[in-house]
Amino acid sequence: MSRETKAYVNGVKVSERHGAGEWTAERLSSLILVPLTLWGLWSGFTLSGGGYDGARDWFASPVNAVLLAVTLLVSVWHMNMGLKVIVDDYIHKPGSRSAILGLIGLLCLVIAAAGVFFIVRLALGSAPLPAGFGI
Amino acid sequence: MSTTPLPGDSSNAPTQNSGDDQTGRFVAQLNGRVRPLSPHLQIWRWHVTMAASILNRMTGTALSVGSVLIALWLLALAFGPDAYATFTGWMGSPLGLLVWFGLTLALVMHLAGGLRHLIWDAAIGLSLKTADALSWASIIGGVVGAVAFWALLFASGRVVL
Repeated sequence: MSRETKAYVNGVKVSERHGAGEWTAERLSSLILVPLTLWGLWSGFTLSGGGYDGARDWFASPVNAVLLAVTLLVSVWHMNMGLKVIVDDYIHKPGSRSAILGLIGLLCLVIAAAGVFFIVRLALGSAPLPAGFGI
Repeated sequence: MSTTPLPGDSSNAPTQNSGDDQTGRFVAQLNGRVRPLSPHLQIWRWHVTMAASILNRMTGTALSVGSVLIALWLLALAFGPDAYATFTGWMGSPLGLLVWFGLTLALVMHLAGGLRHLIWDAAIGLSLKTADALSWASIIGGVVGAVAFWALLFASGRVVL
């Protein structure tokens, strides 16, 4: 990392690295998640006790499926940033930090990819898995 | 990471090995400047703003575990009625319901804590009195919200023990 790099805009020193980008992303994801969380609580309430058929009916509405996919993706984004801040604060050894952040990133990726895959199938009314996957 | 100060950087002079080190530890910041390590949790007097901040991290971490459960719920649903019955059998048991309640508590508290942080980030409510009040409000609001949610679930007969 170069310590000699100094960036100035209109004579004012600005960030040499990430700047406020991560800070802004944390706040932006929080703002988006406020209404989505309230919607999620409401959805959890309506889905409770509805059983398998109730849940499949719920997914038949494209609004529900799209909102759930958006909620999942923004949540995973927010979660990745939040866990990274905690790891940055408490794990000081660079090697361990990179390894843990890598594992967290992988977990987030798996949750996002698998979640969207299931949501799309449920929204399309696809047959129960592993239909068509060779078993 | 090197602890060598920047050449000609006088801002390093007052803190580095100046004999008034109370922490016993210096750390090199990312910009290469050497600064004493700030006191850790056990040094600070307990305060509600601090408790609310720690709770926001704890609930956020709990919700990360919750996201795995939500993914498993989607998986069970996508694998059909038998898999879903297995999932609801586990997560509808008293122990499972306790886990869901804990996650609801974490979610509502994290939501309230997030709103509190967004208010503070807008540079509002930063006087000591208001900051304390907002911290208490987010903690109490989280508990009340989660309990009310589950009271409604039981009252409406959607969830039974």
